[in-house]
Amino acid sequence: MVESTPQVKRVSALAGHYKPVSSERVGVTLQEIRDLTLWQLAVWPDSLSSTAAQVADSFGIASVPDFCSSGTSGNISMLRIEPCKFWIVGSALSEIDSSKGAVIDLSHSRTHVRVTGADATTVLNSYLPLDLRERSFPAGGVASTAFHHVGITLWRSEHGYELFLPRGFAVSLWELLCEASEQYGLSVNDRL
Amino acid sequence: MSASRLPDGGRIDRSTPVNFKWDKQNFSGFAGDTLASALIASGETIFGRSFKYHRPRGVMSAGVEESGAIVTVGRDDRRDPNVKATTQEIYEGLNASGQNAWPNVRTDIGAVNNLMSRFFSAGFYYKTFMGIPPMEWGKGTGIWMQYEKLIRKAAGMGVASREPDPDTYEHGHRFCDVLVVGSGPAGLAAAVKASLAGLDVLLVEQDFELGGDYLNQSTPEAELTRTAALKALKEAGATVMTRTSAFGLYDYGVAGLLERVTDHLADPPQHTPRQRFLTVRAKHTILATGALERSIAFGNNDMPGIMTAAAGATYVNRYGVLPGNQVVVATSNDSAFTAAIAMAKAGASVTLLDARESLPGGAAKLLESHGVNLKSGSTVLEAHGRKGISNLELAVKSSNGWSAGETLDCNLLMLSGGWSPVVNLLSHRGVRPVWDSQNLCFVSPGHDEPIQMAGSANAVWHTEDCEASGAAAADSAIAAINNQTTSIVVPATGGWESPIEPLYEVTVEGRKLKSFIDPQHDVTADDVRLAHQEGFVSVEHLKRYTTLGMATDQGKMGNIIGLALMAEALGRDIPEVGTTTFRPPYTPISLGALTGRGKGAHFKPLRRTPIHEWNLAHGATMTEAGLWQRPWYFARKGEGITEAYIRETITTRESVGLVDVTSLGKIAIQGPDATEFINRIYSNAFAKLPIGKARYGIMLRDDGIVMDDGTTWRFSDTDYFMTTTTAHAAKVMVWLEELLQTRWSHLKVHVTSVSEQWAGSAVAGPKSRDVLSACVEDATTVTNDALPFMGVIETRLKNGAPCRIARISFSGEMAYEMYVGSDYAESMMDLLWESTQTFDGCLYGTEALGALRIEKGHVTGVELDGRVTIEDAGLGAMVSDKKSYIGSALRKRPDLNRVDRPQLVGIVPKDRSETFKAGSVLCAEDKLEGHGEGWITAVTHSPSMGHWIGLGYIKGGYNEWSGKTVVAADPVRRGNVDVEIISPHMVDPSGERMRG
Repeated sequence: MVESTPQVKRVSALAGHYKPVSSERVGVTLQEIRDLTLWQLAVWPDSLSSTAAQVADSFGIASVPDFCSSGTSGNISMLRIEPCKFWIVGSALSEIDSSKGAVIDLSHSRTHVRVTGADATTVLNSYLPLDLRERSFPAGGVASTAFHHVGITLWRSEHGYELFLPRGFAVSLWELLCEASEQYGLSVNDRL
Repeated sequence: MSASRLPDGGRIDRSTPVNFKWDKQNFSGFAGDTLASALIASGETIFGRSFKYHRPRGVMSAGVEESGAIVTVGRDDRRDPNVKATTQEIYEGLNASGQNAWPNVRTDIGAVNNLMSRFFSAGFYYKTFMGIPPMEWGKGTGIWMQYEKLIRKAAGMGVASREPDPDTYEHGHRFCDVLVVGSGPAGLAAAVKASLAGLDVLLVEQDFELGGDYLNQSTPEAELTRTAALKALKEAGATVMTRTSAFGLYDYGVAGLLERVTDHLADPPQHTPRQRFLTVRAKHTILATGALERSIAFGNNDMPGIMTAAAGATYVNRYGVLPGNQVVVATSNDSAFTAAIAMAKAGASVTLLDARESLPGGAAKLLESHGVNLKSGSTVLEAHGRKGISNLELAVKSSNGWSAGETLDCNLLMLSGGWSPVVNLLSHRGVRPVWDSQNLCFVSPGHDEPIQMAGSANAVWHTEDCEASGAAAADSAIAAINNQTTSIVVPATGGWESPIEPLYEVTVEGRKLKSFIDPQHDVTADDVRLAHQEGFVSVEHLKRYTTLGMATDQGKMGNIIGLALMAEALGRDIPEVGTTTFRPPYTPISLGALTGRGKGAHFKPLRRTPIHEWNLAHGATMTEAGLWQRPWYFARKGEGITEAYIRETITTRESVGLVDVTSLGKIAIQGPDATEFINRIYSNAFAKLPIGKARYGIMLRDDGIVMDDGTTWRFSDTDYFMTTTTAHAAKVMVWLEELLQTRWSHLKVHVTSVSEQWAGSAVAGPKSRDVLSACVEDATTVTNDALPFMGVIETRLKNGAPCRIARISFSGEMAYEMYVGSDYAESMMDLLWESTQTFDGCLYGTEALGALRIEKGHVTGVELDGRVTIEDAGLGAMVSDKKSYIGSALRKRPDLNRVDRPQLVGIVPKDRSETFKAGSVLCAEDKLEGHGEGWITAVTHSPSMGHWIGLGYIKGGYNEWSGKTVVAADPVRRGNVDVEIISPHMVDPSGERMRG
């Protein structure tokens, strides 16, 4: 299905759930990246190298990202979320022949929250049982993990931590993030 | 007043006075004081009353092993019972009070129990349960019933708040190369060495100050070493946490920590949690947890004014408090010498009783040079005094044990019966400590955990040796982490000049003494002997029978004495008797910390559909469906749930209704082998499902029982969209993924959960097509020809949002399921609702949804409950016999094909004005017993039929029971109702309405 822009605006899961915060010191900044464009590329073991490389190449990404890793070119990133599955953040994918793999639009399925700041790691570690130390989870790292019993995808981009929350749980998890962040000084960045 | 604050010395900040309340009276101390040190300095001696006998108790230690000064801190909803005064920092406004006493700890009516102590001896509860032989044998339970309330009221220590906890708590995860527990000489040395080697070190200390035993020493060297180590740690970038207890060790280097974040603050900063419950994953763990000094059992050894020797020195050196000026020190080992000297230096008159007959000359000289009066070969037989010790009776070594000696006046008695290394955390790993007969304590044996014991936790006594021991432990950790083999010199254990002598209990023939071994639970030496006389042999049974070591200190003070006495009674050695197993937590942790932020609205994660806010804005009352929030009913003015759902049901049957169905599971199935895959998982034929069509499917488990049902839509040769029930969405997704990854890895199929991608609404009722026509970009795409029953299309809404529609019906009416991208959900609902209103349609919730499907006889999770076959559910005709699918073999088992299996039926009350309840047991009219013949799964008022109806299962089904009276038995709720069994397809059985 080819995406064309509908007249209607997308409504975020978090709409109406931002609460004003004020803090002198800011240790954690939360920002929702709205209107997420997220497509999944799933390939077969025998088409992995060719198909994934073609797609990476078409976005100017140098090589197929390794397991639990990602590649970025400009505003488009390719995250390896499973051995044979990739997420493309920032661009739609065109249909491919089923012998090569399958593409699917997941843009509405996740709420994209960016967590940055000096205390971002501590706040995330109040829920995520993941070793986020620089040497274990450097920039570019991708992980599937659990956030308050909910499976989420975590990506460390050049900007900071990028959380992809299942849309239906987004409000619940957003509230928990805010609650845990307030002690460090929370800023909610409402601009794109 | 015998105790006093010393004019100088100690680590307290004398420029910062701190005011607090103890038992409603105002007191003050200094920053750096514990509640115990501040109160001792103010002359307080009684801190609590004992568990059973209400004996007055004072401060017995200066740390976590405290068994006397157990108090309640805070009030109202912040009341925290059983806090150790010896570890509670004072802060401005602290409000502490005594417990287990009325009206207060100084004057306690309950002290009358002390006179009846023989009735409360070992096995008190056991005997109360069982009855006291011989006259009460067999009456135990009856007696328990009579006294239970009284006993429950009297038992227990302290009273927890019954109000909701107003504080917040949080969880956290930490990772490191080396976790060092304890910041004493060994811990600091280990942490410094490991940090300097480039390892990521986490050092945790339960105290509010770093330094461990350095803090209790008075020499300038100790302080210099301590500060140098802290500086080195800081420079090396180690993470250091104070007020943090490592309470448990678990598999694979996992440690549990409790960080007390605000417990010491008068005015905690907003949003800061009270405590953090942290899970640490460390490659290596160094336990520099120290050792605890043991008491000695003798008469009235629990009296206020009696504490361990090291505690006395700690109050002098760390807190600048002299707990008594007329001091007797009783010891069995060298360690108490420095304590005795510290007391003498602080101005007390000191007598040292050494149980050993000969002392090394050097030690004796040193003691005498400080004015300590030395009596060797003697110890304490019994302490005397009213509310605190005022004199004691000596025991003097004689040919056959001890004999009574002279009486000495004193107001402070300090004891050292030896030291017990803190092996508790290692014990959590299942490593059983072994008895060190030289040092008379349990120590770590060899083991294969990546855990090192260091310092006095490994029975190394001298400070310098502890430092070396810590460094050696760090060397081991460094070598292990870097995969190196190096030879490491570990300092020898022990270090006392003359050997320790066993001294657990002091008795004299013919003297009856009340000698406590576990003061927290009031367990005496006689209790242990009584348990032995009553036949207890195993130390684990002894523990449970006497409650020895079962108080909040887990036997930190008394266990070894108890074991020694048991060994003596059994005529065995201590190692033969063994020790009980320590279990987490090392020190108590609050329930709030275990809960973290997972409480209230976040007890479980709430799952909201993209239509959630829209539903609320349109008057929905919500209900829970698993984690999902779903609209239950949309009450109009004056309506309750009953009026609302009946109206919604009627409106939908007569015109049109909308319901949020987003919670249904949705799975994209893609790939060249998708058709083959789907054909294998559904029991009915799917191989020839045309593109642009949907089909209802039932999947079985391997064992032939129904797993789930739903519809699967075909968009292309290789692209399917499956819906599942709300309840089984995750289960089905996991199942499909498992099949692909384990059994059928050769199939080129990918499954992706798209439950969150698509928001859905059902549009049901005779006017549903008209509503749809008004909402889609091109009305010709939804005509009866373009979109017939079970047809599927992909199109756009009028506002341009892409959507997919299937003409499928759960309600039995002509109906559609329409899905759009979740972020477009509200716009879809706006469009649908605008059009629906022109037909006087309605919004409906799960209650009306239930009524509609019960009338139609459609099954849901309550009918497909993991016990029924496809035939039981009345859907056997759908099954394909021409293919093999999951469950196709085992569904043919004889027991699954019995004709008398419970089968799906409709149920109506015989008297149509009657009602009945889901969960009722269906019984034959003449046999109201047992599990009956079946059960009712769902009930509703049926607007179409004008009376109550239900679905359920009954043995043999409709054919067996048609025309007979059946009883819906509901003995504990509604009572019994006569019902009739009918076909489950109660409305439009031929399906004309949905095809129309």
